[in-house]
Amino acid sequence: MTLLLGQILNGIATGMLYALMGLGLALIAGILNIPNFAHGALFAVGAYLTVSAIGALGNFWIALLLAPVGVALLGLLIEYLGIRRLYAAGHDYQLLFTFGLSLILAESIILVWGPVGISQLPPPILRGGVDLGFTFYPKYRLFVMLAAGLLIVGTWLFLEKTRYGAIMRAGIENKEMVSLLGIDIHRLFTVAFALGAYLAGIAGALTAPIRGLSPGMGVDMLGIAFVVVALGGMGNILGAIAAGLLIGVAQAVVAAYWTEASVAVIYLVMAAVLVLRPQGLFGTR
Amino acid sequence: MGELKRRDILKAGAAAAALGFPAIIRAQQKELVMLGIWPATGAFSDVGPILDRGMKMALEERDMKIKGLPVKYIVRDSATQAGAATRRVEEAVDGEGAKFVIGPWSSGVALAVSEVAKRKKVFHYFSGGTEDISGARCHRYSFQWAASPYTAAKTVVDSFMKANPKAKRWHLLVADYAFGWSVEKYIKEVGKSHGIEFVGADRHPLGEREFSNYVQKAAANRPDAVAMINFGLDAVAGAREIFNFGLTPKVPLIMTWSSGVEELVQLAPEIRENIWVGSNFYYTADTPVAKKFVADYQKKFGSPPGYAPSAAYGMTRMMLHAFDKAKSVEVRDVVTALEGIEVDDLVGRMKVDAKTHQTLRPYFFMRCKPKSAMKHPMDFADVIATGDAPLPPEYAACKDLGGF
Repeated sequence: MTLLLGQILNGIATGMLYALMGLGLALIAGILNIPNFAHGALFAVGAYLTVSAIGALGNFWIALLLAPVGVALLGLLIEYLGIRRLYAAGHDYQLLFTFGLSLILAESIILVWGPVGISQLPPPILRGGVDLGFTFYPKYRLFVMLAAGLLIVGTWLFLEKTRYGAIMRAGIENKEMVSLLGIDIHRLFTVAFALGAYLAGIAGALTAPIRGLSPGMGVDMLGIAFVVVALGGMGNILGAIAAGLLIGVAQAVVAAYWTEASVAVIYLVMAAVLVLRPQGLFGTR
Repeated sequence: MGELKRRDILKAGAAAAALGFPAIIRAQQKELVMLGIWPATGAFSDVGPILDRGMKMALEERDMKIKGLPVKYIVRDSATQAGAATRRVEEAVDGEGAKFVIGPWSSGVALAVSEVAKRKKVFHYFSGGTEDISGARCHRYSFQWAASPYTAAKTVVDSFMKANPKAKRWHLLVADYAFGWSVEKYIKEVGKSHGIEFVGADRHPLGEREFSNYVQKAAANRPDAVAMINFGLDAVAGAREIFNFGLTPKVPLIMTWSSGVEELVQLAPEIRENIWVGSNFYYTADTPVAKKFVADYQKKFGSPPGYAPSAAYGMTRMMLHAFDKAKSVEVRDVVTALEGIEVDDLVGRMKVDAKTHQTLRPYFFMRCKPKSAMKHPMDFADVIATGDAPLPPEYAACKDLGGF
């Protein structure tokens, strides 16, 4: 029982990171209607920028604030200079563009930071663990749960309670209608892509002290992010959050009893849900 | 103009044969094609380029010539996928005339490539943790350079227990493929003689990045030591998470089959504290060949070589020794010459068992240094023991190598 509780806690921490990734991808998929294959690469760039910022500034917290903003700016440029020019060309071209971009970003990471992996320790205050009574748990993972939780709630509040969030949700439902109401749909696309990139970037920044950094880290995370989006329902924000947590917890619980299946369970859960609900947990299309 | 007769056609054919076929034969003898099948994509893609370096350095030491013939060194991507690797080896053998194949880097993929070598009758050298190349699936054309998993397990367990005699409760984290299973079997076997209790043994898929679930389980077992039988980025990710959960440095972590430098450089000094490392090579190896190789490598690439480039270099050197002994460039002669060869080479005295094609050689065991004891950034560890106990005959699964 103690082991199970510990694994569930662990699954929630991992699931929060998956949810952050899925949330960003779902936003982009919902509003721009493209599967962003560069999402994993943006996650990796977030992690690498964080490590560089820590090196330059000597402060984890400032790096954690700045690096994801850098990824958001990169996302803004990608949409403004790249994807936007391909709207007229059609869906396939945007898809190919993001795929090509993921390769370019991965190679750029190797050029800038080198092919060898890097370790980043948590800040001193978050090193080591705390005894929770039923398990001894790393402080940094508890911080990640808290930070990711706040980010998810913050994003949700932005989408639900602000005027621009309402426009974004309307954009997910019906872009043409939003455009006919006189709202600059292109700006909406840019903001959505930048916000999605920010979420990928901060997921990467938070992950760096847990998993370390390697040029291929984005590829590992991209597959899971797509599973989260498909499982939650294409473009569904609440679905992405629920699916991220579900995948994280399922992975952790299975690992407690059948470790060999801990990766396969991600895809088994997705397959099972899609058979029962082809539109995903919360999807309508 | 007369009618073309059957005799004329035969004459023309004979002339063509005289001109053409020897030309082909001459072309075949113009160069020796050697294939490095290394991972450029997929799992272990980080290692592919440095494996290539090692093989190239060994060939360059001979000015890319063997018995007066120029060596044409070609590289193909194994992609760490059996299907891709075997297809590319076959294409290189059939299309490029490759007769000597070294690689790849994954045990599972190597077993598939070994089958191609057997079918195509080409020389094949591999370095990795599976015992099947020189065991149950041995045959005349494939050789194993890495220490036998038994040699590795015996060196690691004996040396660790000598330094930590009270650490009797071990938890194992094992990569779930051929290499992991082989080493796990012998770690448990050798562990019996020390009275080690294996309180847990969890297998994880190749390419696992989320180790927290396994580490939490390991922590719950309250072991005296955690031993990982995995490799590359899996090992690095595992070591990080074991540190994050506060197991190391309190609980020692043993990386039983490590690439050494390539893995240790990815871990911060704090994470390396109380890590014990078994490896097929460490750059402070005290042999003339290793010293020269390490110096040349450092001069060329700026950092010391780990196990990967050293294995590629070492395998190529052993193959070149066989060419020298055979005084021939024919595959059969080189294979026969390598069987039973005994030389002082990269890691010391090295002998190829003629009955199993296993290279008998020392295995290294190191202890990582605390940050304060490091003399330079690459001063990761001290070699505290080497071991070369061969696989006892009762475990040998290679009963008959067969013929050519």
